[in-house]
Amino acid sequence: MSAATIALLGQPNSGKSTVFNALTGMRQHVGNWPGKTVEKKEGSFAHNGTTYEVADLPGSYSMSANSDEEVITRDFITSGKADVVCILADSSQLERSLFMLADYAGLDAPCFLVLNMEDVAKDQGKSIDVNVLEKKLGIPVMLFSATDTKAYDKFYETLERALKGKTRINVSELEKEYEKIEGYNDIKSSISEKALSGCTPMWLTAKYIEGDKVVSAKLNEALSKDSLSKLEAASKNSGGAIATGECKFKWIDELLTGVVNKPKTSVSLGKLDRIYTSKVWGKPAVVLTVILGLIASFIPALPIMGLGSVVDMLKNVVHDALVNAAVPDILTGLICDVVLQSMGYVIKMLGFVLGVTLVFGLLEEVGIMARISYVFDNTMGRLGLQGKSVMPFLVSFGCTMGGAAGARVIDNWGQKVLTIALAWAVPCGAAWAIIPMLSTVFFGLGAPLVIVVILLVMILHMWITAKIFGKGLVKKEDRCGMIMELPPYHKPKWGALLRYVFGRTKDTFFRVVKVVLIVCLIFWLLSYGSGETDTSILYRVGTAIEPVTKFFGLPWQLFIAFIAASVGKEGAVGVISALYAGTSYGEGFAAAMSGAARAANLNELLLANVSKPEALAFIFAITFNLPCVVALAATYQEIHSVKWTLKIALYYTVVALLLACVAYHVGLLIF
Amino acid sequence: MSINELKENAEAVVKNLHGDQRFIGRSTSIGLTPGCKLSVIKNDKNRPILIYSRDTMISLGRSECAGIEVEEVKR
Repeated sequence: MSAATIALLGQPNSGKSTVFNALTGMRQHVGNWPGKTVEKKEGSFAHNGTTYEVADLPGSYSMSANSDEEVITRDFITSGKADVVCILADSSQLERSLFMLADYAGLDAPCFLVLNMEDVAKDQGKSIDVNVLEKKLGIPVMLFSATDTKAYDKFYETLERALKGKTRINVSELEKEYEKIEGYNDIKSSISEKALSGCTPMWLTAKYIEGDKVVSAKLNEALSKDSLSKLEAASKNSGGAIATGECKFKWIDELLTGVVNKPKTSVSLGKLDRIYTSKVWGKPAVVLTVILGLIASFIPALPIMGLGSVVDMLKNVVHDALVNAAVPDILTGLICDVVLQSMGYVIKMLGFVLGVTLVFGLLEEVGIMARISYVFDNTMGRLGLQGKSVMPFLVSFGCTMGGAAGARVIDNWGQKVLTIALAWAVPCGAAWAIIPMLSTVFFGLGAPLVIVVILLVMILHMWITAKIFGKGLVKKEDRCGMIMELPPYHKPKWGALLRYVFGRTKDTFFRVVKVVLIVCLIFWLLSYGSGETDTSILYRVGTAIEPVTKFFGLPWQLFIAFIAASVGKEGAVGVISALYAGTSYGEGFAAAMSGAARAANLNELLLANVSKPEALAFIFAITFNLPCVVALAATYQEIHSVKWTLKIALYYTVVALLLACVAYHVGLLIF
Repeated sequence: MSINELKENAEAVVKNLHGDQRFIGRSTSIGLTPGCKLSVIKNDKNRPILIYSRDTMISLGRSECAGIEVEEVKR
């Protein structure tokens, strides 16, 4: 039984997720709000023997209803699902960040105020008198740094006080400001005490003046025609949201007099910001930052990736042992090619996810991510994305799963899915190992041209994919222009960051193992053949539909290699090598996927069996194919939607074949 | 004048906001309301403008600037 449900409310950069992670640790569940492209984060924690549920409400700037996020946030609070609302504000920018509190004032749900980032405010020489503020507001107020794990006793104590006292904000001074708005009293008098549950008439009146669509619609249902026309007439000259906004900030100014002491400072850009905001150096600086970040993420990743290679070696040892012990083939295959192979993949992946989560989590916490967003917002805005999306794209040149894991910093679910969907189009490190090799074998000096064409196709691919998926994922109203805060730089708190990183990695492990095991099992079953002749399903299907795949420029050997490349691109060349060398498919596949050496005479084998147009088709097919099984799993882990993961995977398989087809027929014309 | 006509280091006060409800809501929630003081930190052509207001560094896209009417304050 849970004692109470706490809702966390705060503007972006108020440290909401830090508090959520610190409170719930690993006891959280991430999903989507029913029928909405908005992420739903819930969790729980126990304190003094009682269990509390925590809802991390979607990021929003105010309590208005201008986006799905804001509507969900507001409905959650007004429907009474929260026993208490924890409103977060940034102590270093109190004046601005108390806007959420001012917009909340007048709602029924009890609340308390948490002033986060005490450390930053202190560094700026600001002092805040919490007791005075608490007296003025009538709700518990506390000051702390969410990254300081020792400070949470204060949090629990404040929470309990708010729950016990069912504390609500003292709104009398705010209402005095509202009363100065023309028509305010007339509107308020026609709204009854119980017009809408969870909201006071004062709050409804302010929202009505702001032209809030949801409130207006609800009032339309509740009120008679007579009083409605009275409302409309009264609000005519009110001044709308600008007027209420002025009132809210006047109230905040009043609240803060005698509460905040700050030294007079002149503002100027720091050295780092001068580079990031530079017209010439901004973009190169961001690209360099991300590349350095990518390199840095290999430092913690490498030891774990090495462990993955040990599992691969173990696989060979176990395989030999099982064969010697005369264990049935099918069992040996299941143990080695499915279970151990999957574990090898997953462990290598985890190393990379850990590195990327750590480094890019650090960039986010320190405040550099906001600068990246600032520099690339205009460019990425054309694709319907935030500036931050540039980071997963760049990381994907190295590894797509790193790109998917890095997309976590995008706070809008639809934009996150779209970012990952586009990041798949970026050829990863494994593709870059194959493309130049194959291009050189077949086209000699023309190889650089192939690479240039691939990069151009990549850009076109991303643009078209953004058009296709963007519609359903990123709503027009979410594509608002840039009005964005650049938060002050923070010193990172390693303890909290590491706890978060290890937590994430553990979580990723359990989720991803399932996906990789299933996919590896399916591919193993498809390619399982007994005895000398090829009896595997994949071989039979591949040869049967060869007339069709030939049209796409892929003879059955290349088609099967293409399918194998969806598991891991590294294996594709090995598979071709095995197939053209005449090895049984089942064996060749298993050997190639665990990194067996390719045939020494591979170049001659390829040139003898594959025509130039077919080679071109194959290069395009595997470059733009779905990246690999671990990227698929990482995508699922980040977007937690089976539907969208499959949709993207299917889309990429189809588009890769189409591109191969085009490349093949263009190739036929040229060669 | 609109905010993008201000020079670097200029100080100004917001006079009025022009735009749809979403724009007004967003500007208000980040603290840009009539009477609010601000200073321009950076204003390069074709780049977002950087301002400092209510203890916060804010970047505004060029098209958003058109909707923010200000009056310059001489120091």
